[in-house]
Amino acid sequence: MSTPTKSSLWTPLVKLPENVWRSIFRNPLPSSDLGRASTSFTNFFLHVHPVKVHRNSLKATYTLGLGLMSFFLFFILVVTGILLMFYYVPSTTQAYDRMLDLRGTVAFGIFLRNMHRWSAHGMVAVVFLHMCRVFLTGSYKPPREFNWVLGVLLLLVTLFMSFTGYLLPWDQLAFWAITVGTSIASYAPLVGKQVKFILLGDSTVGQEALLRFYVLHVAVLPVVLTALASIHFWRIRKDGGLSRPEEEDALPSDAATVAVVQAPAVVMATSPAAAAAAEPVLQKRHYGIQGLVRGPFTKVGNVPDRSTFAWPNLFMAELVVFLITVAGVLLVSLFFNAPLEEPVNVMHPPNPAKAPWYFLGLQEQVSYSAFWGGVGIPTIEVVLLLLVPYIDGKVAGVGRWFARERLLANFLFMTFVVVNIILIIIGTFFRGPNWEFVSPW
Amino acid sequence: MSTRLTLAVVSFIVLIVHGIVFYDQFFNRWEKHQTAYFEQARSLAKTDAERKALDDRSPRIEQTIVTQFGESRVDRCATCHIASDDPRFQGHAEPLRTHPYSEALGDVQRNGRWERRHKFTDFGCTICHDGQGRGLESFYAHGEDVFWPLPMLGYVTQDNWHSEFKSKLSGKEYMQANCAQCHTEDNFAGTALVQQGRKLFFEKACYGCHRIEGLSNGTLGPDLTEVGKKFKINYLWEHSVNPRAFQPTSFMPKFDLTDDELKAVTIFLKSRRGINFAETSLGQYRARLQQTKAEESAKPQSTAPTPARGEQLIAERSCTACHKLGDKDGHIAPDLSYEGLIRDEDWMMAHFREPKSRVPDSIMPVFGFADADFQSISAYLKTRNTSANFKSGEEIYKNLCARCHGEKGDGKGVTYLYLDPAPRDLTKAAFMNSKPEDRFLQSLKSGVPGTSMPPWERVLTEDQRRSVLTYVFQTFVKEPHPELKPHKVPDQNPVASSADSIHRGELIFLDRCTGCHGRKADGKGPNSLDIRPRPRNLRNSHFINTVPDHRLFDSILYGVQGTAMPSWIDYGLTQNDVGDLINFIRSMNPQVSPPSEKSPALTSQVKQEGICPECK
Repeated sequence: MSTPTKSSLWTPLVKLPENVWRSIFRNPLPSSDLGRASTSFTNFFLHVHPVKVHRNSLKATYTLGLGLMSFFLFFILVVTGILLMFYYVPSTTQAYDRMLDLRGTVAFGIFLRNMHRWSAHGMVAVVFLHMCRVFLTGSYKPPREFNWVLGVLLLLVTLFMSFTGYLLPWDQLAFWAITVGTSIASYAPLVGKQVKFILLGDSTVGQEALLRFYVLHVAVLPVVLTALASIHFWRIRKDGGLSRPEEEDALPSDAATVAVVQAPAVVMATSPAAAAAAEPVLQKRHYGIQGLVRGPFTKVGNVPDRSTFAWPNLFMAELVVFLITVAGVLLVSLFFNAPLEEPVNVMHPPNPAKAPWYFLGLQEQVSYSAFWGGVGIPTIEVVLLLLVPYIDGKVAGVGRWFARERLLANFLFMTFVVVNIILIIIGTFFRGPNWEFVSPW
Repeated sequence: MSTRLTLAVVSFIVLIVHGIVFYDQFFNRWEKHQTAYFEQARSLAKTDAERKALDDRSPRIEQTIVTQFGESRVDRCATCHIASDDPRFQGHAEPLRTHPYSEALGDVQRNGRWERRHKFTDFGCTICHDGQGRGLESFYAHGEDVFWPLPMLGYVTQDNWHSEFKSKLSGKEYMQANCAQCHTEDNFAGTALVQQGRKLFFEKACYGCHRIEGLSNGTLGPDLTEVGKKFKINYLWEHSVNPRAFQPTSFMPKFDLTDDELKAVTIFLKSRRGINFAETSLGQYRARLQQTKAEESAKPQSTAPTPARGEQLIAERSCTACHKLGDKDGHIAPDLSYEGLIRDEDWMMAHFREPKSRVPDSIMPVFGFADADFQSISAYLKTRNTSANFKSGEEIYKNLCARCHGEKGDGKGVTYLYLDPAPRDLTKAAFMNSKPEDRFLQSLKSGVPGTSMPPWERVLTEDQRRSVLTYVFQTFVKEPHPELKPHKVPDQNPVASSADSIHRGELIFLDRCTGCHGRKADGKGPNSLDIRPRPRNLRNSHFINTVPDHRLFDSILYGVQGTAMPSWIDYGLTQNDVGDLINFIRSMNPQVSPPSEKSPALTSQVKQEGICPECK
């Protein structure tokens, strides 16, 4: 029944949904390698990823998904945090009442708070574990030195985020934890007292401190963390993807390409000597923008390697990690309520007043020596962590867990980790009134 | 494949948790209560209009916002207790039950219908009951959560309360503490227990140490004006039973109270919440002005000091809540039965005005009575001047010494906990046999100045003193007193006191002595807690100034046997070092003129200007 005139009139309308869809998603569900590459390449959210990714990076036993997990926890924190902001008032007279409202009346309020609280604790733990993973696989070695530094900074920002959030419920737990935490800061030489004053806006924890911690927690620190995390991700791409054993790069993906493969191009700039050797040849030629790009990339079709397409392998893996993270947070939030203690009572400190668990190692150290435990040793630890890739820059044993070549480095690092964990456990479970030793059972 | 399997499993978990959470959020227990109420109310309804109105209602949060009493409060109790104001539900079970009507609450019956005096729409619920008005789950709303500071008074006991007292902490009578927030009249029928508690507050001399605005002005203990706001009844009860239960360092005496008395005290203290809803801040200010005026006008009218008035005052002001006097014994402070023989009027008056001016570590509070009252009490105490005719050393010990030094002579008499320095442990032979008998006789005769050991000179004859000493040595020391070889110590300090010498002494002190005697030399160094007897307070001038140089030399150079004081000659201190030390110690304890002369002037100045000129 349709006539040509009618069809020309209706065609745009009939095709409208498809056209709109096409204008947004340029590629249909890919069925070829070109399509897979194109899908990753043309999608804003996907193009953060490489088009092809090394098979080693997809091994769950290698990364344990910890980096992604910390990002997803941050994502959950942002979403739940924004929802909580609709109900929260950073005022000493109202904050606690708002917590009660969240617990008693706001739809999903208690669950939102649980998710936010447990994700925050989880993020501190997961970021720390991620750091352990990176160290134990030697992934901070050149060319990834600076990304390690960024990672350490991210750990510090995460700790500070969690710490600033701790005060907001304005209960006894919050008040005294922050009182303890900021006193630890005041032990720093020269600037300690000033740092404490700037943080609190007063000599004691009060309205000013609450407001400052709130602004830091919801505005300043998330922006800093997002910026640092973006650079962290960008550097992963620019540093040639996740670390992997050198021999993995030399391995052909399958037998068919063996004959074609010659010297791997990936080592181009990893050693300065190799780069210098290449200089004279390079000088004589003209280059486009591509010529400025240096570094060991995972280039599509360029390098005969063990890479595979990001679509769907990488995205599937990411989705799994995301869902595991969400499921974990949901389950914990379902069974455990975020603590809410008595409203602040300035005259009646709990005994002992404890900092958040991740600072209990510090508090335990402080109980031995205020300056060394609270400032001296932590500063040395952070500086050492920042300097790790510059002290131990020898590229050996990269990409393998507990590589034998790195026995000493791993041993020293594990000592640092274990000592800190033991201190935290002592501070959490074995300290009673007046910080005296008690047995938890 | 395993990826996809994981994906499926995890997605399923996420889905399930979502289901649970949504179910939890959309099907509240209070909705069930309300639905049940609507159904039952419909069956009770008499008219169609009533039924229609009920059909139109659907579950919702019912709340009262109370703005009239203090900070505005939000009470959502009626969300579950929706029938609380519906008289038809009197026989039902909670939560769908009518709140009882009672004439005691001021409710009146008109034409067969009850009318409430305290309408829930005006007063809310938590104003009488406490609890958490915003809560919508009984666990939180009733304050069962151990962190909630206001559990429902008399109905809810929290899990972490001491099991021994828990059963005693429930009962509707505890709500009287909240009635008293508005009904502040002293003789209000509904707050009988608060009144009893207030009476006990004075009878047990609590007022001496604790301040409660408008009632008392004690300064030694914490201000209790807002104690009911800060602490739950379990704390108030347990702290009254055993002051060291929550605060190991508290020096508040244990008062023997019966359970009924404890309940009254707890309810009275719980009612101390600072601001009464019945009073505006302006009204409070006016009341305070009038009160101070009344106090001032009352002062000059004090009756002339007579012993009879003194005896009356001692009874009225509850001195025997701590002291012993005749048959009455508070088991806390010294025996006053022979006070007229032990102290003179100057000592008594100075001690009344500032007990620490005579016994520097005394816990006796400063009672701000008028001078005429103190004179009356002194006059009465001076009449206690007849010594009993004690026959044997044993009888003397049991009557005069055992109250502090203990029946067994171990220094643990009933009052020992409250005396600083503590009574000497007479069973410690190492100490008792390292000092000459003369010294004990001297202590018995003249007392030990600056401590609670009084001079027995006028109570006991010399023979009696000797006989009690013999009794002590035979019964407690049990070892024969050895022949003592005097140590080689100078009679007078050979090192002349000078700024240099004092400075050297201070350096030695900081180096060697602070661990026990403390940086302030007050005997409270970090090790002092583990030491019996406690290290001396070297700033106790009354004591130090009566100890001659040779005794100080002896104690420092050769140690004090039976105590933690070591022999410093073994640790390299020379006689000159000790001379410097003694000069330093003496420099902290100047020979003061008796403070009784300057203190009345000082006190009046303090009262006029509101600040002590010495600290200004």
